Amino acid sequence: MTISGPGTFFDGATSAKHAVTVELAADVLRARAADGTVLAEWRYDELETVPAPEGILRLGQAGSPVLARLEVRDRGLADAIDDRSLPVDRTGRGERRMRIKVIVWSLIATASLVGVAVWGVPQIATRLTPLVPYAVERRLGELIEAQTRATLDTRHAGAAFECGNTAKEKSGHAAFDKLMKQLETAAGLPMPLHPLVVRQPEANAVTLPGGYIYVFQGLVDKAESPDELAGVIAHEVGHVAHRDGTRTVLQAAGISLLFGILLGDFVGGGAVVLAAKTILQTRYSRDVENAADAYGVMLMTRISGDARALGRFLLRIAGTTHPGPKILLDHPETRDRVTVIERMAGSAPTRPLLDQADWAALKSICSSS
Amino acid sequence: MTTFDATVPAAQIGAVAPAEGGVRFRGEPRPFWRLLAHGAVLLMLTLGIYRFWLTTDVRRFLWSNTEVAGESFEYTGTARELLLGFLIAVAILLPLYAAFFLVALGLGKLSSLLALLVLTVLGHYAVYRARRYRLTRTAFRGVRFHQSGSAWRYAVCALLWWMLVLSTLGLVYPFAQSRLERFKMRNTFFGDLQGRFEGSGFHLLLRGLVLWLLTVVPFAAGLIATLRAIDWTTLTDPPGGDDLSSWLEASGLAGALVYAGLTGIWLLLAFVVLYPIFQAIVLRWWTSGLRFGEIVVTSRLRMTQVLGVYARFLLYAFLFSVAAAAIVVPGAILLPQLSGELDSMPKEIVTTLAGLAAYVAIALGYSTIYQATVKLGLWRCVVESLDISNLAVLEQVSAAGQPASPVGEGLADALSVGGI
Repeated sequence: MTISGPGTFFDGATSAKHAVTVELAADVLRARAADGTVLAEWRYDELETVPAPEGILRLGQAGSPVLARLEVRDRGLADAIDDRSLPVDRTGRGERRMRIKVIVWSLIATASLVGVAVWGVPQIATRLTPLVPYAVERRLGELIEAQTRATLDTRHAGAAFECGNTAKEKSGHAAFDKLMKQLETAAGLPMPLHPLVVRQPEANAVTLPGGYIYVFQGLVDKAESPDELAGVIAHEVGHVAHRDGTRTVLQAAGISLLFGILLGDFVGGGAVVLAAKTILQTRYSRDVENAADAYGVMLMTRISGDARALGRFLLRIAGTTHPGPKILLDHPETRDRVTVIERMAGSAPTRPLLDQADWAALKSICSSS
Repeated sequence: MTTFDATVPAAQIGAVAPAEGGVRFRGEPRPFWRLLAHGAVLLMLTLGIYRFWLTTDVRRFLWSNTEVAGESFEYTGTARELLLGFLIAVAILLPLYAAFFLVALGLGKLSSLLALLVLTVLGHYAVYRARRYRLTRTAFRGVRFHQSGSAWRYAVCALLWWMLVLSTLGLVYPFAQSRLERFKMRNTFFGDLQGRFEGSGFHLLLRGLVLWLLTVVPFAAGLIATLRAIDWTTLTDPPGGDDLSSWLEASGLAGALVYAGLTGIWLLLAFVVLYPIFQAIVLRWWTSGLRFGEIVVTSRLRMTQVLGVYARFLLYAFLFSVAAAAIVVPGAILLPQLSGELDSMPKEIVTTLAGLAAYVAIALGYSTIYQATVKLGLWRCVVESLDISNLAVLEQVSAAGQPASPVGEGLADALSVGGI
């Protein structure tokens, strides 16, 4: 006994619509036209359900380049086809199972991407950084410097972003140069430094690739001795020597690449990427800061400055400003740092880095406004 | 396994004449909402990887619920193809981005202009190739659509037209649209039936001219008023410390800010009200220009329908905003207190992560509401407003064309220039 029922057939060669009788034989399904011609004869195991609206079973031939389609609206007939054919999947159970597999693998892929971002990218950036030629780093520094300047320079007071260029500030600039010259000579870096004092109220300092060091006005104001200021700058010179700026750029580029291009802007916005960058960079800054501290202590000792001044200064800024400025937020717990600095700093005799007059001039390097 | 396709002269046997003009959309909003909400959760968990599956589901839903003469469309594309296309696109774009980076080191500011130009051309190229993929994955009555024509040629034409549109503040837009649509439709085939586009740019211009005047004239007037209010000689002379307010007065900057603000408010209001109207005009004009051989499409789309769609979106978005605020605001107050005992660093990470999750959830919420109201709503009212004549032609269309590669879709996805 063969079950049969009405169906609609499209042969895939033309768009003509054929009303057919669908016959379910032992191992094949036949679509027979009104005049008895067999239009299609498909084995049950090569049937394939294709997307269709609710209430219509639409069948194709799996793997066939021709889009021949058989549509069955009769429920009983559709059930009978479903019973006979393994690949026909009207409830969508097979599809659901595959979907779950996809979801599980996507979750694994996500975890692996996050893992690469947290552990892989910093490692790769660390390995790549020494390979970046200094000429490239300098060019990179110029680009980033221009951008940083544009973001930091608010022009709120109408005065120049850089301190030390007006007649009143000239002597301060000379004193700053005198201090920097000692540090730079002792450091002996393969690349010239570009230190600047900039009109920013926070007690902070920033190092960019290419040897750019921004010392914020707030830091100069809060420093009580040349050694304190020199200590922070020596720490920043450590970042230059270790090429931390370049490494940060490489890390940021790597993370942008992972989360930006690979995952796509699925909610339309770089905010996610930006936040991810912040978190990840906070995560790996502890070792970097400790290394820069060690370098700072070494450099201060080399120029016979007071290496402990950095620790004192950090404690004082941490005590007075709350919530702490950026230098403290992404720096390891201040007390731990100071303990380490105290331990590393020897008790070699020190000499003043600047005389009283020079220090007074340096303190007023941003006095034009 | 035998198929008799080749041996049977198709048109003779049991041919059923299609009903004239019947276009229907049978999709219910409820399953579509379910699909999108489910997809949004998975998108969040998989950091977006699920989008290939969600896109495929959405297309299957829209395609198979759209009926012409009692037969529904079929979307034959798969998520796997989209994923593959995307991976290929990444392989193409990675070296390109690396090259941009290196060029930026050498050229400075000039390189961003170059990058913009290259990415714009590539974006249009991707749009055209993605259209080809979608067409070749669209089947109707067992015959697929396909697209010919060079995507590079299209990309260059599109770039030139868009430069003209920008430099005329949008006045040329109707002509650009009609030219580009002509190019696309001339290269679009349903089987061996060639498409074409008969919408006239001039007609679109006439219909949209009032909108253009309502936005561009106040914009230009505001710009001129702003610029004239400023006393340029005073402005270039920067003020000393405290006399900021008097300097603002003297330089006319205060007046200029007022003019600029008023212009901005007007443009924002105009955008909210006029954009749906603009959308309605363009959609009706576009669908009424579509032709396939002797098949002629006309549209009865009414402006109120489109306005209703956007009003629903605004309503749902407003309700969602209230709900989101009710959750996020107390959370933002409580969280710092809860994590108070942690060290400063984990605390920062915890709050940033929570903020990130909230941001993603809210953005996905808006995008889900947009898709379920605007995308589905526009699709429904555009489809149901169509009249199609000479459908008898559908009895004689022969299959032609091959499935195209999904690389275009991948590029469009990676460059964020996708469509549906």
